[in-house]
Parts: sequence; structure tokens; C-alpha cells
Amino acid sequence: MPSLTAATRTVRSAWRSVFRVGWPRTDKDRTAAMISSFFLHVHSAKVKKHSLRASYTLGLGLISFYLLLVLVVTGVALMLYYTPHPPEAYRSMKDLQFVVTFGPVLRNMHRWAAHAMVLVVFLHMCRVFFTGGYKTPRRFNWVVGVVLFLLTLGLSFTGYLLPWDQLSFWAITVGSNIASYAPWIGDDLKYLMLGGHVIGSGALLRFYVLHCVVLPGAAMTLVAVHFFRVRKDGLSAPPQPEPSAIVEAAPGRFPASTRSYGLMALTDRPAQPVVESDPEDDEVLSWPHLLYRELLLLLAVLVVLHVVALVFNAPLEEIANATITPNPAKAPWYFLGLQELVHYSAFVGGVLVPGVIVLALVLIPYLDPKPRGVGVWFARERRWANWTFGAFAIVAVVLTIVGTFFRGPNWAWVWPWMR
Amino acid sequence: MTDPAKDGDRAAGGLTGERTRRRFLFTTGTATVVVGVFGFLGATARYLFPNVLYEPPSRFPVGRPEDFPPGTATFLPERRLFVFNSDAGFYAISSICTHLGCNVNHITGDGFACPCHGSLYDANGQVTRGPAPRPLAWFALSLSPRGELVIDEERLVQPDYRFKV
Ligand code: HEM
Ligand code: FES
Repeated sequence: MPSLTAATRTVRSAWRSVFRVGWPRTDKDRTAAMISSFFLHVHSAKVKKHSLRASYTLGLGLISFYLLLVLVVTGVALMLYYTPHPPEAYRSMKDLQFVVTFGPVLRNMHRWAAHAMVLVVFLHMCRVFFTGGYKTPRRFNWVVGVVLFLLTLGLSFTGYLLPWDQLSFWAITVGSNIASYAPWIGDDLKYLMLGGHVIGSGALLRFYVLHCVVLPGAAMTLVAVHFFRVRKDGLSAPPQPEPSAIVEAAPGRFPASTRSYGLMALTDRPAQPVVESDPEDDEVLSWPHLLYRELLLLLAVLVVLHVVALVFNAPLEEIANATITPNPAKAPWYFLGLQELVHYSAFVGGVLVPGVIVLALVLIPYLDPKPRGVGVWFARERRWANWTFGAFAIVAVVLTIVGTFFRGPNWAWVWPWMR
Repeated sequence: MTDPAKDGDRAAGGLTGERTRRRFLFTTGTATVVVGVFGFLGATARYLFPNVLYEPPSRFPVGRPEDFPPGTATFLPERRLFVFNSDAGFYAISSICTHLGCNVNHITGDGFACPCHGSLYDANGQVTRGPAPRPLAWFALSLSPRGELVIDEERLVQPDYRFKV
């Protein structure tokens, strides 16, 4: 049957035109599969066992990324039914909630994934700090991370207005008025943000464009930069016992070529004695060891999100009404720590403290660059730094909890169990 | 990225005059592009600030004087302000909290309270407690030819202001 074999051959060669390596069966093919695919080559061919340890990264960076992916997919789906103009915006949320098939699941997933992402990115930042992952040569990647954190907050905040219900309207009223406390440029800033003096159709359209185009684009681009850096520098790890001795033990060999198994070895890059000099048996092939863990984590994230989205509905209150202020009117939860401060002074809580926090975060790797105590949680050498950061993180968390659960009407103190 | 300056070196066999000339041209060209791009962005930044707003007018009639019984405070939710009719005359106080823009509630005989962060104002709209940085705004009133009270939100007045009809 010559024609059948010919057909099989055509199909096989067509398959090969897409997946050049095919299903890899040897270590050489596993290496080739990793570096010949656009999507897979974000991984190196081999990874250190250390970086696979779930207890080191807690998978938090990856979970952040998966949440971002879920948000993009569900967000595009929501856009098909959403109209960014005042009364229709609210109506389209009602449609999604009550008449669109699977609308509630998609909306709930989008909402809960957004909340989760703020939390997980924050935890990822804490992980990186407590393991010293921001030190040379990863200083700039920490800064990229800080911008990603701000973008995550910005995405969440701009999305908050879109349902156009009471919750969103008053949260954004409070939030945008905080901007007007910025010295000198405050009023212009608020005018720019709202496209006017009040939260109306202009503001909704601006928030929509930021939420659906500008900020996701910026976040995706920076995530690519972030990953590229992680790929180039490797994950932070404790230094090897005697790196220089090992490098010298292989004279005349360009160490990078033994690691990248391909073109990567030919690109210019600074010598990285620590990464390049690890003993071979410290490493395993990324296919399957890393890939398998990544897929498992993705599955876990999707399962958890689905369960949460099926059980809990995203809130939707009455349509936005500028004449009735709910009591209390609260910002989104991740700003309630700041709102708690804003309750004492709008300038301090809304401008000074957040400004100082962002500046301090950006400067951390430049004030404390020495790669000491890197690669382990809570290294003794870094006690002081860890305590300082930990104290700030705890204050932020406590303020957020107070603002969320312990503040009632007129921002007066309430005990959550006595409501 | 290939560096034209370096390629030039090679082509010119490393002649110094050639090198400085190429570097000069490359630098000037790059600078022009940078200035052009950022100049354009800077010049068009003004685009982001709308010139025409379709917002409610800041000067509007609120009703005839008889609609406001003497000795009362009337909340006009659509306009976000209170109209008072006192013995000495009419006055209007904004209901927009100067802290972060929530609507304050009027407590008869006792001033105003903001539900958002607990700012308190006295009967004149002066801050007595809480994070509000400024007193509530007072607006000037006038009478339209048709005999209606008109409020002008652009014209702010002091708390001793009273409008006699
Ligand atoms: C959209 C948000 C973010 C995503 C998707 C993301 C993703 C990742 C991933 C996948 C890794 C690999 C290691 C791991 O899984 O932990 C990583 C490492 C890293 N991230 Fe992020 N990240 C985000 C935000 C941040 C933030 C807010 C910071 C800090 C301010 C940060 C700083 C770093 C640094 C310095 C590393 C290298 C750490 C090391 O080598 O130990 N990232 N990130
Ligand atoms: S908005 Fe009135 S106290 Fe904050």
C-alpha cells in the first residue's frame, strides 16, 4: 500500500515541521526539545536541583504568572459583553451575572484571580527578600519586580471601577481623591486620571483603556524581561564551596558551552563563575523535571480557581449613585492599610507613605548589594535586613487587616464578631 | 545590535578621522531621533487633558425661595449640597467632604458627619474632628429673572454669607 505510507510520511513530516524534535526519548533530544521551541526555551536545558525545591520558591513567581494568564484569557472573554459607558456598563455586568452562559464563572474567576494575584505577587516579593534573591547580579530584576508589583495594583484598581456599582464608584472616588493630595501636581493628576472633575463616562473610558490595553501590555512586556533575567542569571542559590577551584580544574574550556547545549553558549555574556562552575551532578534536565512541576502547579492553580469561582460569587451591588455614599465607603482591600493611614492624614497615608515605600523598595538592592547569605531562607548573615523588612511587612498586613475587618460605619472601630 | 561606528572602523581600516566622523554622525542621528520622539510625546501630552467636558454645569437653579421652608436644611442629592433657609437669609453648603469626596450627612443642630473616615464639621462647615483638611465649601446664591434661587459653585463665599430675597 504505497499511497498509505506516503500519506503517513507526509503527516509525519508535517508534524515534524512544527515539532522539530518530536517526543524526546534521549537526553540529547530532551535538551534539543527545550531549546528548539520558542515557548520552552525560556528554560535552560538543565536546572539545579536547588531551584526545583518547592520549599525554596514556594512556586510563588510561577503562580503569579499563571494568574496573569488566567486574567488575560478570562478578561478577553468578559470584553465581549462589556460596554465601557455608565449605565450600560452596569447592565452588562448584570447580563454576565444572570443571562450569559458561563458568564458568572468567567466573571468570578477574573475577580478572584485578580485578588489572588495581588496577594501572591506580594508574597513572592517577600520570598525573594527573605532569601536574598535581590542581590548582585539580580539587583535590576528586583526593580523590574517592583514595577510589576505596581502594575499589578494598577490593573486591580482600574478594573475595580468597571462594574460601575456602588462598591466600585465609591472606592474609586476615595482612591482618585487621594491622588489630588500629591504636592503641586495633585489636581492635574486627578484631572488626567478622570478625564474631568468627576467620575463619569470619561473616567470610566480611561480606566477601561488602561485596564484592557495599556497596563496588561506593560505587565506582559515586563514579565518577559523579568523571565529573561531569571533565565540568564539562574535562580539565586547558595554559593558553591570553592567555585574558583572548579573553574580552574577545566582549563581552556568555555564553561557556558557545557550548560546551554546550543546557540546560547555563543552569545556574549559576562562570566558567571558561580552558576557555571557547579558540579554536573547538581543538575537535572529541565525536561521532564522542571516541566512536570510547572504543569502540575498550573493544574493546581486552575483547579483551585475553578472551585472558588463556582462556590463564591463576585460582589455586585446597586448601580453607582453619586448621591448616596455607603457607610463606610472602603477602597479595595489591598489599599485599606493606606486608607487606615488616610483616616489620620490624607497626605501622609495617600502620598508620603506610599511614595517612601516605593522608593525604599527600588533602592533596597542598591543599598544592600553584597551577595551574602543568598539562597537560603532567613540567613543568619542577613538577620538585620530580614527583621527590618519583616517588620514593615507585618505592619502593612496588620494595617490592612484593621482597615478590612475592624472598621465600620464612620470608620469607627468595630469588632468583626460583634457586627 | 551592530554598532555602525565599529563597522565603520573596520571599513575605514581604523582611520581616526573616519572614526570620529562616523561616531559624530551616529551620535547626532541618535540624539535627533530621541529628541524627535520625546519632543513629539511631550508636545502631545496636552492631548490627555480634555478641553470640553460634558459634566453638569456649575451654575444652576435649585427652586423658588418658597420651596425652602424657614429654619430648615434641604439636601439636594443630585447637586450634592445643602440649602439652608435661616432668619438672616439663604445659604448653601457643599455636601462633598473635603477629605476624599464622600457625601457628608447633616445632623440637625449639630453640623455634619462624614461616613467615610469620620470627619466632623460644625454647623458652619468648619472641621471639628477627623482628617478633613478644609472646611466644607460655601456657594454664592442669586435670584434668576424667573424668581428662582441660583447657586454658583465657582463663586465660593465665607460662612458669614447670607442671601436675602
Ligand atoms: C507579575 C508579577 C511577577 C511575576 C509573574 C514574577 C515571576 C517570577 C518567576 C516565575 C520567578 C522565578 C522564581 C520563582 O518562581 O520564584 C521570579 C523570580 C524573581 N522575582 Fe519575580 N515575579 C513577579 C513580581 C516580582 C516582584 C514584585 C518582585 C520584587 C519586587 C520580583 C523579584 C524577583 C527576583 C529578584 C527574582 C529572582 C529571585 C531569585 O533568583 O531567587 N518579582 N519572578
Ligand atoms: S471622605 Fe470624609 S472623612 Fe474621608
